[in-house]
Amino acid sequence: MRFAKKIINWARVKSPWVLHFNTGACNACDIEIIAALTPRYDVERFGVQLKATPRHADILLCSGPVTKQVAPRLKRIYEQMPEPKFVVVVGTCACSGGVFDGCYNVESGIDAVLPVSAYIPGCPASPKAIIDGVVKLLKSLEEK
Amino acid sequence: METKMMQDLLGRFPYLNEKVRAQRDRRIYAEIDYANFVEVFEYAIQKLNFTFLCTITGLDEGERISFIYHLTTQDGIILNLKTSVPKEKPVLKTIIGYFRGAEIYERELEDLLGVKVEGLPEGKRYPLPDDWPKDQYPLRKDWKPNA
Amino acid sequence: MHKVIIPIGPQHPALKEPASFRVALSGEKITGLTVRLGYNHRGIEKACEERTYIQDVYLTERICGICSHAHSSAFVQAVEEIAALDIPKRAKYIRTLIGELERIHSHLLWLGVAGHEIGFDTLLMYTWRDREIVMDILAMITGNRVNYGINCIGGVRRDITPEYIKDIFRGVKTLEERTNYYIDIATKETTIIKRLSKVGMLSHDDALKLGAVGPTGRASGIDRDTRRDDPYAAYGELDFKVITDDHCDVFGRTVVRLGELLESYKIIRQVLKELPEGPIAVKAPRKIPAGEAVSRYEAPRGENMHYVKSNGSEKPERVKVRAPTLANLQTVSKMLEDRQLADLPIVIAAIDPCFSCTDRLISIKESNDKRSKIMKWDELREYGIHWYQHRGVDFTKINNKLKRRY
Repeated sequence: MRFAKKIINWARVKSPWVLHFNTGACNACDIEIIAALTPRYDVERFGVQLKATPRHADILLCSGPVTKQVAPRLKRIYEQMPEPKFVVVVGTCACSGGVFDGCYNVESGIDAVLPVSAYIPGCPASPKAIIDGVVKLLKSLEEK
Repeated sequence: METKMMQDLLGRFPYLNEKVRAQRDRRIYAEIDYANFVEVFEYAIQKLNFTFLCTITGLDEGERISFIYHLTTQDGIILNLKTSVPKEKPVLKTIIGYFRGAEIYERELEDLLGVKVEGLPEGKRYPLPDDWPKDQYPLRKDWKPNA
Repeated sequence: MHKVIIPIGPQHPALKEPASFRVALSGEKITGLTVRLGYNHRGIEKACEERTYIQDVYLTERICGICSHAHSSAFVQAVEEIAALDIPKRAKYIRTLIGELERIHSHLLWLGVAGHEIGFDTLLMYTWRDREIVMDILAMITGNRVNYGINCIGGVRRDITPEYIKDIFRGVKTLEERTNYYIDIATKETTIIKRLSKVGMLSHDDALKLGAVGPTGRASGIDRDTRRDDPYAAYGELDFKVITDDHCDVFGRTVVRLGELLESYKIIRQVLKELPEGPIAVKAPRKIPAGEAVSRYEAPRGENMHYVKSNGSEKPERVKVRAPTLANLQTVSKMLEDRQLADLPIVIAAIDPCFSCTDRLISIKESNDKRSKIMKWDELREYGIHWYQHRGVDFTKINNKLKRRY
């Protein structure tokens, strides 16, 4: 049983599938996430694939300050992901609200709504930082 | 070009005296009472070639709520037509008969400033979410978040 | 035929921004479309009133990540007009340079996204790879790939050195070669023409009535470009063409954007050759005197308008932003009338929507109606690609051509 668990963990760590969700951001972080897929940075060679549905994803990559309208949807998407799941927040707005902290339609940061495993700051977070953040998360899983 | 237009407006509508100015080239600002709005508006779009509506800005000015209709010509001259209504009874007539695209700007005025625009067709509100309480108008000066 | 309503829930075309469209279908033909906006409404106009002018320069930049310079420049221009500041010529030229670089990166982004929407993923990878050249140049000049922060009230924050100029010329030369190749493919390959022609038709009169701006309007023959009609920054002194097209469809919009890329290269070369010497900023007061100003800027998606009213204090009285996508969104329902469902992704992507500029808010529409279905954007996109594949639109030959070239 432990051996099976080890294989599953290895597969997850070596090839995490990612779901991207924008909770009201200005798009800069989202473009940098997509830029991470393009030939210059190319995360697909690391086995990271962008998926369309939460049911296939291991990691939820979130950007943007959570607007009040989006919060219940965000929770629902998180619940639809199978265990074990991790949330990685990209960008300063997602970490703490950023420049929009205090605006009337905005919660302050995604950790007000979901449990977050990794924070990637930056405005926007550059693709290198995003790859670094995801790799750090995977390393910490390996060590478990 | 702007001075010529200004003269034209002043000639046609003498009550505009001192309420029209050209701040710089290609910018005219005019202030009118809402009662005279339709005739000046129609004259501007039909006779002075202001064929494009950029947007409608709503401002909370204490006792009154003001609206600035930003119209432009093909050569880039902008006419900023300002009018206002009292805050206790903020009611406007729609201009979608002249500019179909004005619908969304008027919905924004309804949502954020609490103005009633008469003549708008059935439709979704914009930009606030559906479950935003009906009597909260964020862009009013006396509105504070967490109210 | 019964009516089926498909709420297309919040996964947006290219930028994975949430937008909700409720489509009423009859068989496969679209009979009605309501766009539910309010996506990224973060309350920026109110937030601007609670922050100082200097903070607002950075806040307006983050209205949108792709046209960030457009918003911050439009704001700064309005404030400078109220304060009657005469900014140095060198600053105007630098603003123009960054503005054009931004236009290039935005159009290349759009090209990739359009390719992705029709199933031509190779184009996505190639154009975004070329876009990295522009991102490198921007990072070199301003210090960041996106959200440059180059503007300050009174001028620009950083200067350009002769080494930068050499690098920019080199980058522009490579990009021009590649763009010419994309133009070649787009206008000569029958598969692409078949997929994009006659899709998303918007007649000249409709475009005028609904107030379409930018490449969407110019592809329907509307000859409007703020850079020429209402010149700002250095555009009054530069020589460039405004590209219009008569096709009135998505193909026309592609042609207009590709043409604008070539014009941007021309403008950048002029700016660099004629860059005047001098300071890059003048000192601006903290308290801006009372007044108002309207400033317009030609963002990559169309005319962007800012209205600023000041009251003599450090914070603005009112800031109003009208982004181009808001004006263009109203044309989408018209464009999709009587069209097939399969055309929806590319038509919406063709106006190059930037919902964060527009609403600065989100909602998912779920329907309990038995006959309705919820489709996510990617599902709709796949649907569109397969629908066309059944009708002979297949990109494998072009894919091979593109790969052989590089």
